Amino acid sequence: MIVDMARVQIWGLKDHLPDLIALLHEEGCIQIDDVGNIPDAVIQPFSLSQEMREEQEEVDLLIANINGLIEMFKGLTKERFKNHAIEPIDLFEIKDKVDDVTSKIQYLNNRKKALQDELISFSKYLEMLKIIAPVCPETSKDSGNATIRALVHSSQTRTMNLLAQQLKLLTHGKFEMVNVKVGGETNAVIGIFPLELVSQVETFMRNEKVTQLLLPEEYAYLSTDEALDNLNRKIALNHDELRDIDARLERIAAEWLPQLGVWQLVCKDKVDEFAVYEKVGETDYTFSIFGWLPEHDLNSFGDIIEQNFGEAVSVTEIEVPKKIRASIPVEIKNPKAVKPYENFVKMRATPDYGDVDPSMLVAIFMPIFFGMMAGDVGYGIVMLAIALLLGKKVKSGMVADILKFLRLGAIWTIVFGVLFGEYFGTLGEKLGILPLWMNRSEPENIFPLLIMAISVGVGHIIVGLLIGIWNAFIHKARNHMLERLGMFIGLVGLIFLAGSLTKYLPGGFIMAGWVVLAVGLIVLGISLGTTGIFLGPIEFVGLIGSILSYLRIAALGLASVFLAKVANDLGGMVGSAVIGVLIAVLIHALNIMMGILSPTIQSLRLQYVEFFRRFFEGGHSPFTPFHKRIHFEKKVH
Amino acid sequence: METAIMALAACISIVGTALATSMAQRAIGSAGVGALAEKPELVGSIIILVALPETLVILGFAVAAIILMG
Repeated sequence: MIVDMARVQIWGLKDHLPDLIALLHEEGCIQIDDVGNIPDAVIQPFSLSQEMREEQEEVDLLIANINGLIEMFKGLTKERFKNHAIEPIDLFEIKDKVDDVTSKIQYLNNRKKALQDELISFSKYLEMLKIIAPVCPETSKDSGNATIRALVHSSQTRTMNLLAQQLKLLTHGKFEMVNVKVGGETNAVIGIFPLELVSQVETFMRNEKVTQLLLPEEYAYLSTDEALDNLNRKIALNHDELRDIDARLERIAAEWLPQLGVWQLVCKDKVDEFAVYEKVGETDYTFSIFGWLPEHDLNSFGDIIEQNFGEAVSVTEIEVPKKIRASIPVEIKNPKAVKPYENFVKMRATPDYGDVDPSMLVAIFMPIFFGMMAGDVGYGIVMLAIALLLGKKVKSGMVADILKFLRLGAIWTIVFGVLFGEYFGTLGEKLGILPLWMNRSEPENIFPLLIMAISVGVGHIIVGLLIGIWNAFIHKARNHMLERLGMFIGLVGLIFLAGSLTKYLPGGFIMAGWVVLAVGLIVLGISLGTTGIFLGPIEFVGLIGSILSYLRIAALGLASVFLAKVANDLGGMVGSAVIGVLIAVLIHALNIMMGILSPTIQSLRLQYVEFFRRFFEGGHSPFTPFHKRIHFEKKVH
Repeated sequence: METAIMALAACISIVGTALATSMAQRAIGSAGVGALAEKPELVGSIIILVALPETLVILGFAVAAIILMG
């Protein structure tokens, strides 16, 4: 049901404002309106001081840092934070700790990047050295010798030979060069010379603009084999260090992610407080807050304010002007069992304030429609088991709501299964179990099944129209009331006609039916204005279309029972008992899955489209109290 | 012969309306998924929009049932 709301004004001395906002935040029972958007509040909005603005910017920055760390850590650990009361912590402490974690992470990430870059360049050197190593002469391994290496195009070999001759002259014949073809058109050129001639050879090579394969400094003049060994060792060391860094990052993520989740909420709470300051009105010495809270909380709220601030802050219930009635926040309160259906209603839209909350009706009709469609004892038991098992794992969210609905739907499936005599389709019939009401698979029962579906639709829509009439009466919406009343009267006329034509009602009801139907159409036409004479009958045909839409209850039921029949017949036709049972189980499993999905969607659709259309306007804003996302532990003295 | 024609008529009634429903749902469904990606709170309205054309096939079913029960 929709809770009655009270509009309050909290007024007091400005010195108490920070404490009051902290208290309102902690209590979490009032929704605060922005004074800038309230037509009857003639007061200037609170302006944040420079100090507060700076603090606000710092918190925003801190949240951005925390978000960045959380995003990164989520990929590194499976640890998650749990929202529970925490020890009090202020923003400075949070900032220090976040900075500390950020600097650790930055250092490790930079080191990781450097190692990865090194590994990329090492892999290129390694590739070249592996080509050159097999063709290196033995003299290159002498410790007194240095080696220079180059990979050149085969067309440059002649030039390289000329250079080698010049280098031999320069080094007094101590330069040895090997030129070997290593690929299609690539030659490896290796020069070996005494270590003391390095600078001379280097200068010469530079002057002649020969591009050498330059290894990092520590490997530059080692022999190719030594350079290869050292590079391999270094690569292995880098991999070890990378593994170590990854392990450290994972440890840090696992240690800090839960904390960061908590701090993120603490910071968001602070942001919420700043946002509330901007909704408050102020004069030179006083402040004024306008808000909403459930009427039943009004007295206890007044007591809390009085206990904390005495006479310095006052709470007054104020009247709700006509202009802002459309913006009254809507709080819905229902028994626990109806909660999932309340969420289904909210998924469509939050009901209007003052309207009938349809959650309870949805809780009644939706599982019944589901049961009517699925209607099989065996399927119901399997569905109930699935709903109970999954329900233990999924405790909240939309899936949990659907599972709770499925639990009840499965029970109705069993009930209608007994009425229709269906136990895994026709299996019950084969075992001699008879239906209490009718066997849906019998051709002669199809017509009664369709009548049942339409009767259910008529009943459901009549309930919707009656609620619609009541809602329109509460809102003093004349046209809406006439429209729904006209439909209701017309529908009654149609029932009279159908009843007497099918001999369920005496023949005299035919005339009464025509008259009532005509009255209904006239009332409906009046509600639609000058074009009502044309639009009224069209609207009424739409209503009949809505009723026919309930035929899906019969259609889905028939599809389910015939698929179950196919499963049993096909299983029986196979020679092997094992294969037969396997085929039957597979088709039944498919039917059960379809039996869960389809009736859920269809029964929800019947609520949303056919039922709600008769009375539900929706679209009001839900009650969103100013509450803390996370609470600090209260110290016990 | 008469039974065969009745069965064919019922079949056309179901197939025609089922095709019409599926064509409408294809367009609404793809647009709906796009809208949901941007505004998940529209889920209720999208379910309604996707479910609306199903009335067609239900009416087709009703017509088929009337034909068969002749």
